Amino acid sequence: MKPRLIVGLVFMIAFTSLVLYNFSGSIGSYIDFEEAQVREGSKAYVIGTWVRDMPHGFNNESRTFNFHMMDEQGNIRRVVYNNAKPQNFEDAIQLVVKGSMSNEVFYSDDMLVKCPSKYNDESPEFTAAEAAI
Amino acid sequence: MIGIIGKSLIILAFLSSILAILFYYLDSKKPNQRLSTLGHSFFILKGVFITVASGLLVYLLFTNQFQYYYVYNYTSLDLQAQYLAAAFYSGQEGSFMLWVLMSFLVGLALIKWTSPVYRSPMMFFFSLTQFFLLFMLLGIDVFGNTLGASPFRTLQEQMPNLPVWAVNPDFVPADGSGLNDLLRSPWIVIHPPFIFLGFAMMTIPYAFALAALWRRAYQDWIYPALPWALGANLSLLIAIFLGGYWAYETLSFGGYWAWDPVENASLVPWIVGVAGIHTMLIQRRSASSKKASLIFAILAYILVVYQTFLTRSGVLGEASVHSFVDLGLYNQLLLFVFAMIIMAVVLFALRYKDMPSQEREDPILSKEFMMFAGALVLFMSGLVIILGTSSPIIGHFFVANPTPPEMSFYNNWSIPFAVAISIMTVITQHLWWKKIANVEDLATHLTWPIVITSVVTVATIVLGDIRNPVYMIYILAAYFALFGNGWLMINIYRSKPRMIGGTLTHVGFAVMLLGFMGSAFDRPMLDAETKRYNQAVQRGDVIDSDGFPVVQPMHMIELFKDEPKLIDDRYLVTFLDARITEDNRPGEQEYTLRIEDTKRNNRAFYIKPQVYPMLASSQMGSVSWTVDPEVSMGFFSDIYSYVAGSSLVDREFDNWNQGQFSPVEQSSEIIIYDGSGQETKTVRIRRGGTITVDNFVISFSDFEFLPPEEYPANATIAVKAMLEMQNTVTGDVFSVRPTFAIIREGDSNNTFAPVEEIEGSNMTLQFTNVNPNSEEIELQISGIHSVEEKEWVLLTIEKKPFVSVVWLGTILLMIGFSVSIVRRWNDQKRREVNEKRGVKQDDDNEMYT
Repeated sequence: MKPRLIVGLVFMIAFTSLVLYNFSGSIGSYIDFEEAQVREGSKAYVIGTWVRDMPHGFNNESRTFNFHMMDEQGNIRRVVYNNAKPQNFEDAIQLVVKGSMSNEVFYSDDMLVKCPSKYNDESPEFTAAEAAI
Repeated sequence: MIGIIGKSLIILAFLSSILAILFYYLDSKKPNQRLSTLGHSFFILKGVFITVASGLLVYLLFTNQFQYYYVYNYTSLDLQAQYLAAAFYSGQEGSFMLWVLMSFLVGLALIKWTSPVYRSPMMFFFSLTQFFLLFMLLGIDVFGNTLGASPFRTLQEQMPNLPVWAVNPDFVPADGSGLNDLLRSPWIVIHPPFIFLGFAMMTIPYAFALAALWRRAYQDWIYPALPWALGANLSLLIAIFLGGYWAYETLSFGGYWAWDPVENASLVPWIVGVAGIHTMLIQRRSASSKKASLIFAILAYILVVYQTFLTRSGVLGEASVHSFVDLGLYNQLLLFVFAMIIMAVVLFALRYKDMPSQEREDPILSKEFMMFAGALVLFMSGLVIILGTSSPIIGHFFVANPTPPEMSFYNNWSIPFAVAISIMTVITQHLWWKKIANVEDLATHLTWPIVITSVVTVATIVLGDIRNPVYMIYILAAYFALFGNGWLMINIYRSKPRMIGGTLTHVGFAVMLLGFMGSAFDRPMLDAETKRYNQAVQRGDVIDSDGFPVVQPMHMIELFKDEPKLIDDRYLVTFLDARITEDNRPGEQEYTLRIEDTKRNNRAFYIKPQVYPMLASSQMGSVSWTVDPEVSMGFFSDIYSYVAGSSLVDREFDNWNQGQFSPVEQSSEIIIYDGSGQETKTVRIRRGGTITVDNFVISFSDFEFLPPEEYPANATIAVKAMLEMQNTVTGDVFSVRPTFAIIREGDSNNTFAPVEEIEGSNMTLQFTNVNPNSEEIELQISGIHSVEEKEWVLLTIEKKPFVSVVWLGTILLMIGFSVSIVRRWNDQKRREVNEKRGVKQDDDNEMYT
């Protein structure tokens, strides 16, 4: 084997293992609120939906946006987001909040809002009156 | 009716593409003029069908035919013409149509300009890719499975279970669900066409590479493929630039790049495409790197298809803001990816033995080796990004339900790649253009660039107060790329101006890297008080009402009308005005804020962020207040801002909702109204206590017993309360000394409590009673309702250094690409002419300068 090839191979193996190691360290799991509470204080991603009929609003004093979210297991917790209410929030069919849980409250500093416009499973409800037109 | 015609046209186009593939195949096997003419005819026929079908879809969109699902889903009656046109490619189906259409146009150019040696096999592969794209659009039922999703399907076909159909089978919705307001910007009109033009052109090097393998002609394909590869990359670059710019000035995440899978989907093919361009250039110059050119050309397109699969099959689900949901195309997309890969791998394996292998080993300090190594580094950076983007698939090997990687994964890996590539561009460019035999030669040539780089780097580190050693290395490398390539560019420009394309792209790349550095210094601009609060949060000193430490810092500032605040220790920002302008949308509000730069003679500029109520499509009548950020661009840094909340929004809220849904309240703690609706409020304070009334904090420190000679007339006893009042809005503190006295009038004792005016407000205060035992006093405060609510605004304002430097770099890169395309295209034309004359083909273009 040519020396250059050996150097190249060793380099590639080192590179691949380092990238994979790094990658595995930088990804996490989507979990529910209960598990997030178990791992209190550490970084968590929770998927869920906004619970419209529970209290929500912007708190000017702490400058946070507060709302309640139901995760995929049906657990409902308060989420405190330290930014303005995200764009398309009311329209979102799904939210992904990143942050950490503390005392049954989820403190989020990043939120992904899934907008339904590109979704296909949205079924509009036409009322009978509309249909008669 | 039109729907049926449209569907049929797509099916006809699909069938024509099969025939085109067949005839191109036969012609490639056994060249025959008639067969190739037939192939071209069907190729063009397919194009005509798809063009007419696209025309029909546009017609349906413009005539608001909401019985069609696609029209219903992406348009509404209030859309302006440009957005109706853009709705053509707003959805998945339409964007596949656009892709096919772009490929068809590119294909016409190929039929005209490709040399006969490659034409048929290359058109065979090219048509195959079109076959798969049309396959996605079919929308026909085969054995109960729907193949593809037709843009012409009706609402009833899409949602057969709606109860409406039972009542009225001919039901047509009165209006469509419309285009999201965030997408209503001119960028939606031009951004997607560039993406799909880029994707279409990326097919060409792929088809050429496979045709080269088929024909066992491994050298000549790169000459015609090179201008197309450059064109594909230019087009993708423009698309990426437009997308980044659009996101930056419309969305509230506050950046131009978020490593979102959909963004990566166009970035990775671009990176691999660039690697391919480099190996093609080596091959052109030295007839080496043949395999690498083939592999990169093939990979760039496979990555386009793979990323299409990722973003459209629904696998990314939670990972991306703008990935599509599965239209039922998962299997078809997967088939597309595998077909493209298998075809390439099989053909490559079959020809592997046949391909000329490299006999000589290039020395390390040769343009061939350095350039090849550079291409490899580019490719590796692409691999890292693909790995990150593929986390929903690959992540399963590490964790359950994998999330996308942190942004830092991408950012941290970009740095070493950027450093390596920067250094390599300078060395390779010098090896390419200059006669360099050894390291000493190289050093001689690089003396001046190195001197300039060192001086400028040190200056930047000192002036910019950069402490992070990694950033220092990054800046050093980027400057080296800038001055090393810039120096060379000036040299080349003097003798051969039309050849500066290559060096110009590298200069642009270096400028871009320098601009990226700025994003490490992005920061919210905060006032001193908020900063102190954040520091206290960091120390864990802030406790919330439940007794738990507050963990979240504040990212925005609160401003009251006409009350300036100093932010970032430098800028004086004043909230001047908020009004409803309805400039672009109903109910739109515009805020005017003045920013004065105290370090530049108080030079003032104004920002006018907007907020508008967006009618939510999910619930009838509901409104969602949406921010429209304002970017004021400067050469050194941008100031990015949006209004996160305001008293105007709060007031307008009720007007817009009229109780139709539970509003997202913007509760305000500062203004406390008297719930009973009274004008007067009675409060009690103990000695040493504090209460808050409206925007005043009142503390009662002690009594002051007046000496009898100071008693009011006829008083038997008189006492003053020592009150300290703080206006929480202005911060003003002043003391009030109201008097309480008991006056004897005849037989009865009456209380005497003179009215005290409260400074700076319409409020008045009376000391109405005292309880000597509990040391509690009673105050009556009037005029609470007449106190004007201070107009306030919450502003997110961020400083983003060097964003315009990124744009400048990108534009230089684009110009460089364009110059190179013109040059390579002309070279290719000259080559063809010479070929016809039978002149020996010497590549004499790359003369040393």
